[in-house]
This record gives sequence, structure tokens and C-alpha cells, in this order.
Amino acid sequence: MDPIIATEDLKKIYRLGKVDTPALRGVTLQIQDGEFAAIVGPSGCGKSTLLYLLGGLASPTSGRIFVDGNEYSSMTDAERTRFRRHKVGFVFQRFNLLPTLTARGNIALAQAIHDHGYDPHRFQSVTEMLGIGAKLDHRPFALSGGEQQRVAIARAVVCEPKILLADEPTGNLDSGNSQLVLNMLRTLNRSLHQTILMITHNPEAAAISDRIIHMRDGLVIED
Amino acid sequence: MIGKMIIANVLHRPIRTIVSILAVAIEVGMVLLVVGMTTGMLSQAAARIQGVGADVMVQPSGASLFLGVSAAPMPIKIADLIEQLPHVQAVAPVLLQFNTSGTGGLNLVYGIDPKTFAKVSGGFVFYSGGPLRNPWDVLVDDFYARSKRVKVGDTINLLGHDFHIAGVVEHGKGARLFIPLKTAQDMSGSKNRASIFFVKCTDVGYTDSVLAAVKKLLPDHNVLSVREYMSMMTSNNLPELSDFVTVMIGIAVGIGFLVIFLSMYTTITERTREIGILKSLGASKAYVINAILQEAGLMCIIGIAVGIGGTIGLKILIESNFPTIPVNLTVLWVIRAGALAIGGGLIGSFYPALRAARLDPIDALGYE
Ligand SMILES: Nc1ncnc2c1ncn2[C@@H]1O[C@H](COP(=O)(O)OP(=O)(O)OP(=O)(O)O)[C@@H](O)[C@H]1O
Ligand SMILES: [Mg+2]
Repeated sequence: MDPIIATEDLKKIYRLGKVDTPALRGVTLQIQDGEFAAIVGPSGCGKSTLLYLLGGLASPTSGRIFVDGNEYSSMTDAERTRFRRHKVGFVFQRFNLLPTLTARGNIALAQAIHDHGYDPHRFQSVTEMLGIGAKLDHRPFALSGGEQQRVAIARAVVCEPKILLADEPTGNLDSGNSQLVLNMLRTLNRSLHQTILMITHNPEAAAISDRIIHMRDGLVIED
Repeated sequence: MIGKMIIANVLHRPIRTIVSILAVAIEVGMVLLVVGMTTGMLSQAAARIQGVGADVMVQPSGASLFLGVSAAPMPIKIADLIEQLPHVQAVAPVLLQFNTSGTGGLNLVYGIDPKTFAKVSGGFVFYSGGPLRNPWDVLVDDFYARSKRVKVGDTINLLGHDFHIAGVVEHGKGARLFIPLKTAQDMSGSKNRASIFFVKCTDVGYTDSVLAAVKKLLPDHNVLSVREYMSMMTSNNLPELSDFVTVMIGIAVGIGFLVIFLSMYTTITERTREIGILKSLGASKAYVINAILQEAGLMCIIGIAVGIGGTIGLKILIESNFPTIPVNLTVLWVIRAGALAIGGGLIGSFYPALRAARLDPIDALGYE
């Protein structure tokens, strides 16, 4: 079976004025459909950069990215935006909920941006699975970190993306909440066959994944 | 959903929202009041001329449509020549004066010969008092009497001289103040002169032929039928006035534009991170632009409603306190003012919207 994510010699150089920072220096990687993979590595080794490239939030300097059989560099900006809307869900360390909207509003917004609009069944099953049904009318400031992150996960998966990209989803959580969020991701992966690529610094978090990808200095060093 | 987000954003910074709404409301109110007061003033002035009851009016060449802002007055004996033309029933010479003394404001004063003026106009309707008898008598109309709180027997200062109010008459016959022609001539040093002749035909049907005859008799004069005059009394035919109106509208639209621009510009700076979030959720450029234009549009629409409501309130207030200042509100201008405000608001928010749409999502997400 074709991998859901594949990269070929992916390079990314950030150019700030005259200084070039190579963040990725030739990453070749394959993730299978339904896999739960963790990426670990020291700070600054290019983990977030890799995730942004896979999610189409930034373009690589060179190399190719295939997601669900589509190659990014052959797409226009607008096509990549549409692709991201339909195939990719993001979860961030800082939750990134819209502060002016309730939990319900944040999740519904993702469905509204997604062309198919509000789907009450999916909405309910996702919020139930993540255990936030009782908190839906709270705004982010009235939620704990763990609850905020679960709302963010609900928002990321409510439109049934092919891949879920999580950048240190437990980085701002205490160990109890971390465990809860990790269990949710595990459940999503097991019961909904959700492909997950998760960056983490936490060995316990990495341990619950199927596969651990080690990075250093912009390269994958061990798989 | 986008609607909910916009409403949440608008409510999130109430002061900013209120200031933007007020700016649009002031913009709309300013347009409506400037246009309403100029057209009101013009149509009132025109209606008063019509109220004189003449069919044809004769002025010196170069006279402005705004009566009185005119060239040197004409010899009064012209009236006799006109009177001898066929189908002319009466000719009333009037010497126009502008009064600026007294309680302030600018008043048009008609120096009239009561006999001929009555023949042309059908005579005054007296609310109290009686006709002009003495050189220092003045007739005032009911609006003037009400707004200046004066009555028959009072003394008012006009053109630097005290006048005795002989009568209060029904408004609508050219001016609000009438003094004897002779007095006006003496005061302005225009002995035996008049600035306008009002001509009454034996029948309205003869207007065109009388008009032609007067034009032939006085080729160097400004001869108009009152009907023509009425149709010409719009600000378009008064360059100074239409320039003034245009400048005021320009200032009003400029205020609305700048405030909306600044408001939306600070909004997107403040919400850079949120725009990054929208983009990470797959929102397209068009989606982001649309959301910001809708937010600006919402504030404009509320501002327009407040502006229209406020203008109606002001109109009532102005007209009840200053009956001599009419404010004409027309549906056409309400629509125009609304369209200007929406247009200015959308143009003002377009650049901020474009900037937001162009934000790099990664930079935006990293933004503190
Ligand atoms: N927008 C940017 N402009 C310039 N350089 C950048 C930018 N983003 C990242 N970098 C650089 O690229 C390299 C990789 O950054 P990246 O954020 O991918 O690392 P990371 O592995 O996610 O680190 P961390 O674990 O601290 O999150 C770093 O050297 C970083 O300084
Ligand atoms: Mg990182």
C-alpha cells in the first residue's frame, strides 16, 4: 500500500537577511496510513519545520512531499490551501484556540471553513470521545490547559482529516493532563484509524506511539 | 459561523467598535445635514420667490440666482416700460437689502412699494397689525416673529436703523422682512432704483409671450420666468454651493474612510495570531478578506443606521428650534449617504484585509 505521507530529500533553508539557516537538510520519510508516529530530537533540529512543510503551511526549498498521493510542489497556493483544509488537521503546543469564540464556536468554525459545513453527528461523536461535551459553551480562558488542548484536537479532527499533525501537544500540560491528551490521541488512532504525526520532547509520550523517528541537525538519524 | 466570529470580534473591543460606528454615523449625518440644509434653504428660497405671485422676473445682467447678490440696481422707470407691454397686469419693483445687524444672522429685506407689490402678490395676509405707513415701518413674517420673539409695536434694528414693526404677515412672499421702497433706496443710496421687477401677467397663459416681449425690450437684462427660476434653484446651478457641498461630502467620507482603515488595521495587527490559526485550519485568502470586509461592513451598517436616526432627530430638533432653517431629507440622499459610507468603509478596510490575507501563517502563529 502507498504511504499516506512520503518525502524525498526534503530541504528547507530559512533566509533572514544575509544569514541562511538550514532547518532541514534532506529528509526522506514515509508514514503509512493509520500509523501513530512520534518525532523526537533536540531543540532546533527542524521538527516543527518538517511538520509545517507536511501540512502545507510553508514551502520547502527543495525536495518533494506526497500526501495521500498528491505532490505539493505541483499545486498552486490556493490548491494547497484547499488540500490542507480537507486532509490536514493541526494541533499546537499553545492550543491556538480563538479566544473570542466558545469551545463549540472554535470547533464549528473548522467545519464552517471546511466546505461541507456543520455536521452535527461528527461534531457530537468527536466532542464525546474527547470528553468536552459539558464544556462546549465555555470560552478558552474558562477552560484548563488540558481541556483547551482537547478542544483543539476536536477542532483538528472534526473534519476527518487524513493526517493529524501535532507539534508538542503536551508541551504546556502537567503530567495528568498530558496523559489524558495522549490517551485521546491513542484512542483516535485506534478506533478511527487516524494517522498521527506527533512531535514531542517527552519520552513517555513517544512511548505510546507505534514508531519513533529521531531527528538531529535537520536530518532523520534513526527510525 | 463566520457571522458569529465577526460578532465576537466586534464585541471584543467595544470602544473601538463604538468609535468606528460613531465615525460612520457622523459621516452619514454630515452628508445628510449639509445636503438637507442646502437643498432645504434653496427650495425654501425658491418657494418664497414663487410665493410672490409673479410670472416673470427681471434682474440686471450678471445677477446671481441667489437674489440680492447682484450687480448695480436698475432705474425704476423701466417698470413703466414693462407695464405698457401687452398682457402685463402689474409690475412690482423691489430693492433687495441684506440685513446683518441686530440679533445676527443674514436676513433678506425687500424694499417694496406696497401698492404694486400687492397687485402682483394679491396682498399680504396679516396675522396682526397693518400695512406699511411710515418710512421706518417694517413688516415681518410669522416665522421671523416666532424665532426672534417679536410682535407688532416692537422696535427692531435693521440695516443700522431702528424700525417699528407695523404688522406680522403670513410667510412665503419673497422675504421675511419688508420695508418701504423709498426707505430702502435712501438707505442704500440707490435713488429711484430697484434690483428686481416682479411682473404679473393678465393670465398665466401669457407668460411666454410677455417673457419674449420683455427680453426684446431689455436685451441686456436677466429675464426669467418664475417657472424657469424654480427649476434652476438647485445647487448644481449654483457653483459656489455645489462646490461647498462636494467639499463637505468629501470631508465626511474621508473621516469615515480613515477611521475604518485605522480600526481594521489595528484589528488585524492585534489578531495576527488568530489569522494564522484560521489559515492553519485551511481558510483561503478570500475567506480572510471576506471576514474582515464583513466586519467593517457590519460596523458601517450600524453606523449608517445610527447616522440616519441621529439626522432625523437633529432635523426635528433644528426645525422646532429654528423654524427658518429647513432640513430636506430625501430617500435618494439617504441611499446615497449610505452607499458612500459603505463604499468608503470597504475601501478603507480593503488594504488591511489584503495584508491579513497575505500573512505568512507560520510567522502569524509565532506572533505574540
Ligand atoms: N521563521 C524562521 N526564520 C528563520 N529561522 C527559523 C525560522 N523558524 C525556524 N528557524 C530555524 O530553523 C531551525 C529549526 O527550527 P524548528 O522550529 O523546526 O526546530 P524544532 O526542532 O521545532 O525546535 P523546538 O524543539 O525548539 O521546537 C532552527 O535553527 C530555527 O532557529
Ligand atoms: Mg518546534
